[in-house]
Amino acid sequence: MAKTAELLPGTLDMLILKAVSLKPLHGYGVLLRIRQISRDALEIPQGSLYPALYRLEHHDLIAAEWGQSENNRRAKYYTLTAAGRRRLRDETAGWNRLASAIAVALSTTSEEV
Amino acid sequence: MLKRFRSLFRVLTRRREFEDGMTEELSFHIEQYTDDLVRSGMSREEAARVTRRELGSPINIKADCRQAFGIHLLDELRRQLSYAIRLLRKSPGFTATALLTIAVCFGANLTIFAVIDSVLLRPLPFPEPGRLTTIFNTYPKAGVERDGSSLTNYYERRGNVPAFTSLAIYRYGTEIVGEPGSTERDQTMRVSPDFFSTLGLGPVIGRSFTEEETTSETDHVAILSDTFWRQRYNADSNVIGKQIRVNSVPRTVIGVLPPAFRFLSSDAQLFLPLASRPEDRTPSQRHAGGNVIQMIARLQPGATLAQAQSEIDAQNASLEADDPQAKMIADAGFRSLVVPLHADHVVAIRLTLLLLQAGAMALLLIGAVNLVNLLLVRASGRVKELAVRQALGAGRGYVVSEVVVETTLLTLVGGLLGLVIGAGGIHLLGMLGVDRLPLGSRIAFDGRLALVALLAAIIMGIVFAVPIAWFNLRRHLGNALQSESRSGTSGRATQFLRHSFIVSQIALAFMLLAGAGLLGLSLLRAMAVSPGFQSDHVLTGHILLPWADYPDGPSRLAFAEKLMDKVGPLPGVLYAGVVNNVPFSGKTGKSAATVLGHILRPSESARGHYSYGVGGDYFHAMGFSLRSGRFLTADDSAGSTRVCVVDEDFARYYWPNASAIGGRLWDGSEVGKDNEAFTVVGVVGGVKQAGLTEDYAQGAIYYPYVFRIEDSFFVAVHTTLPPESLGLALQRVVRQIDPDIPVNDLRSMETRIADSLVARRSPALLAGLFSGIALLLTAIGTYGVLSYAVAQRRREIGLRMALGAQPGHIRGQFLYLFLRLLAGGVLLGVIGAWLTSQAMQAVLFHVPPFNLAILTSALCIIALVSLAACLLPSSRAARISPMDALAEE
Repeated sequence: MAKTAELLPGTLDMLILKAVSLKPLHGYGVLLRIRQISRDALEIPQGSLYPALYRLEHHDLIAAEWGQSENNRRAKYYTLTAAGRRRLRDETAGWNRLASAIAVALSTTSEEV
Repeated sequence: MLKRFRSLFRVLTRRREFEDGMTEELSFHIEQYTDDLVRSGMSREEAARVTRRELGSPINIKADCRQAFGIHLLDELRRQLSYAIRLLRKSPGFTATALLTIAVCFGANLTIFAVIDSVLLRPLPFPEPGRLTTIFNTYPKAGVERDGSSLTNYYERRGNVPAFTSLAIYRYGTEIVGEPGSTERDQTMRVSPDFFSTLGLGPVIGRSFTEEETTSETDHVAILSDTFWRQRYNADSNVIGKQIRVNSVPRTVIGVLPPAFRFLSSDAQLFLPLASRPEDRTPSQRHAGGNVIQMIARLQPGATLAQAQSEIDAQNASLEADDPQAKMIADAGFRSLVVPLHADHVVAIRLTLLLLQAGAMALLLIGAVNLVNLLLVRASGRVKELAVRQALGAGRGYVVSEVVVETTLLTLVGGLLGLVIGAGGIHLLGMLGVDRLPLGSRIAFDGRLALVALLAAIIMGIVFAVPIAWFNLRRHLGNALQSESRSGTSGRATQFLRHSFIVSQIALAFMLLAGAGLLGLSLLRAMAVSPGFQSDHVLTGHILLPWADYPDGPSRLAFAEKLMDKVGPLPGVLYAGVVNNVPFSGKTGKSAATVLGHILRPSESARGHYSYGVGGDYFHAMGFSLRSGRFLTADDSAGSTRVCVVDEDFARYYWPNASAIGGRLWDGSEVGKDNEAFTVVGVVGGVKQAGLTEDYAQGAIYYPYVFRIEDSFFVAVHTTLPPESLGLALQRVVRQIDPDIPVNDLRSMETRIADSLVARRSPALLAGLFSGIALLLTAIGTYGVLSYAVAQRRREIGLRMALGAQPGHIRGQFLYLFLRLLAGGVLLGVIGAWLTSQAMQAVLFHVPPFNLAILTSALCIIALVSLAACLLPSSRAARISPMDALAEE
């Protein structure tokens, strides 16, 4: 198994939004999808997943609806709302800015100072 | 934010579904994960173990999920609520006292607030009511404070005062409406064409009056009120164009007003044009107002009252410049005042209402203090329990919210009971005749009031919680846990708080008592005033003769004479008379008279006097007292002899050093022809005309009826029977003469006088009621605090008695504490009473604001009541058995 990284605080919400933005998913599906798109590099604390989903639903960033799972079980499916889509876009842009700024900062060599 | 509330609300309404969904979702997750692990080669037990480890406890996850939705707060609230209910049910005595206190204080405030709200606060039912004003003429130096406006004023001002968008006049009246045989007398208003547009609310069906409809030849039109339209025309939408008989003359219905239309306190059902002749509108009639016609005006947006006032003043000044009577008018202090319509209408009762509300607030404050005291006592009984819970981890926020939940629960339930009491109070006010006050008929118990009550209850709950929460939080855990009894932890601060509560309670109750005393004494003094005539066994009624059937003096006189002839022989009738206006009728109007030989002194102006035409045996019927000369008789009227009777105030003013008999005067403001002068043949006692509290006797003149015939007059009958029993007979007699004419406003003179005191009686009664409750609450409060002090110091007392202290000594100690509190309270109370009496001055009648007798009685009452409340606990203290007290715990 590849080496996994701890999630930075606040990034779980962003990842959930991203996962749900690709396709409606149930809770367990969200977990699998994040693992898949992060190529198993991120360790998702499973206990925090559901409170995060409920918080996002309460804030109207994702919507929930009961449906049928692949193996014909009743499952709660989450989809992205318009507000969620906006939030995901903002957070992605913010994250990219932050990441590139930190990357630039960390790649500085002593000659450039 | 709104969305979140919606989502929370959705969850709360389907709580079961929410919980089940959460469970299902989690078990789905667990199953799937376990299956996946098994599929990847793990044993089922191993997979289940890994799942449990990685997921954590489902209970915790669910709690976190609930928190994400904010449900945990409500769950907490529910838990605290049921805890509070359990606590309150455990001490039913405390709960009942608290609820009753809140309910009574709350109900009292709600009742008065309902009146204040409808009379003072709620705007008049017109668009932008703040811009509506009224304008009236005043001649203060002539003793005429208020004279309405004249037709001339209206025609001169209309369109010429830039500060007003529009200006209108109106007069109240009653007319006989309907077909012969089924007539009724209805309240009406005669209004100028711009009346409705000035108010901003006019007919919803049909149209308003036009300028062409303001002469008596063309004014045969009418506008109906909504009520009238519904009752008489069954809300017929084709009513426009129908004929309606008003005073026997057919008029055409041209409009119907909306249901919401209500002008001030008027109950007018029918609106007619205010018609006049060109000669009524000339400059010579400028000061002929007589308080009959009133003027309203709407301010331009942005214009101020001061601006309008200065424009009116400027116009008056330029118009008076060429008035032949300009000097006399100026000497009378003439001005036309512009005042806000709503405020002017309620000016007479505003102060009384505010004082009553202040009284109710004081009551609420006393109740609140009592309650906080009781709560503090309870809290100190639970110190240990609370300390244990805090030691076990109850946070400060938790302790505070628990108190808030409990006090708010109390105030909400008490407030609900208070609503019931308030509704009853409003009903009681109705029985006291409060609906006859200006805008009084608007007083109602409505949703607006309930909402105010709800908000007030919540605020009160939070306010009550503050001292309790402070008390709960400030104590040190360790101390509380160590101290072996509840008496161990009364800090000086809480003791001081409790004592100052008692002091302020006594002070407030003292103020209420003193205020109620002043109002009560005022009422008694007013009731003790002699009206100047014999008010018992006199029945009076108002008759209005329709213009069409009684167009001139002779026909009206004939009616009055026929009436006298028929009423006289009725069984039980001693005397009967007619007059333009009886005292206490609610109508007042003064007119000028000129006395031969009276030369105005430099600072003196012509005076307005009450002037009446009297026929039949009016003086005997009303029991007037004769000072000198003789009464007028039916012969004076029949013979048209130019004689008159004046009252002693009039006589004293014009003939200070001589007899008035033989004096000569003219009806009007100028010396007239010699053969038109009236000779004074008698002087009668002064009579209160407008009310018992009328202090300044303006003087009255009584002319033979033939010289002052009007279409509207009163009949007065002196009977040996109870006066009301004669009402039907009187009505029958009038109908015999003319079946179209009803007798209106049938009341005995005693009733009229009693009715005139309603604005004094109700406040005095309410204030008395309030101070009674305040006394009771203060007694409860004093009792509570002293009982607590005794219980707290039980061991100390026991110890001292074991060492030889006498019971009398112990009792004395508590009495001394009580006396100190009483002295402090009374001292503050006297200061407060002095301040309130200053504010009350305007509503007092012949009572100096600082009345020693009232203050002394208030002191005695409050001392007696609170002493009684203090004796019980202090004698209990004196009976404490040292053995028992020391053996406890």
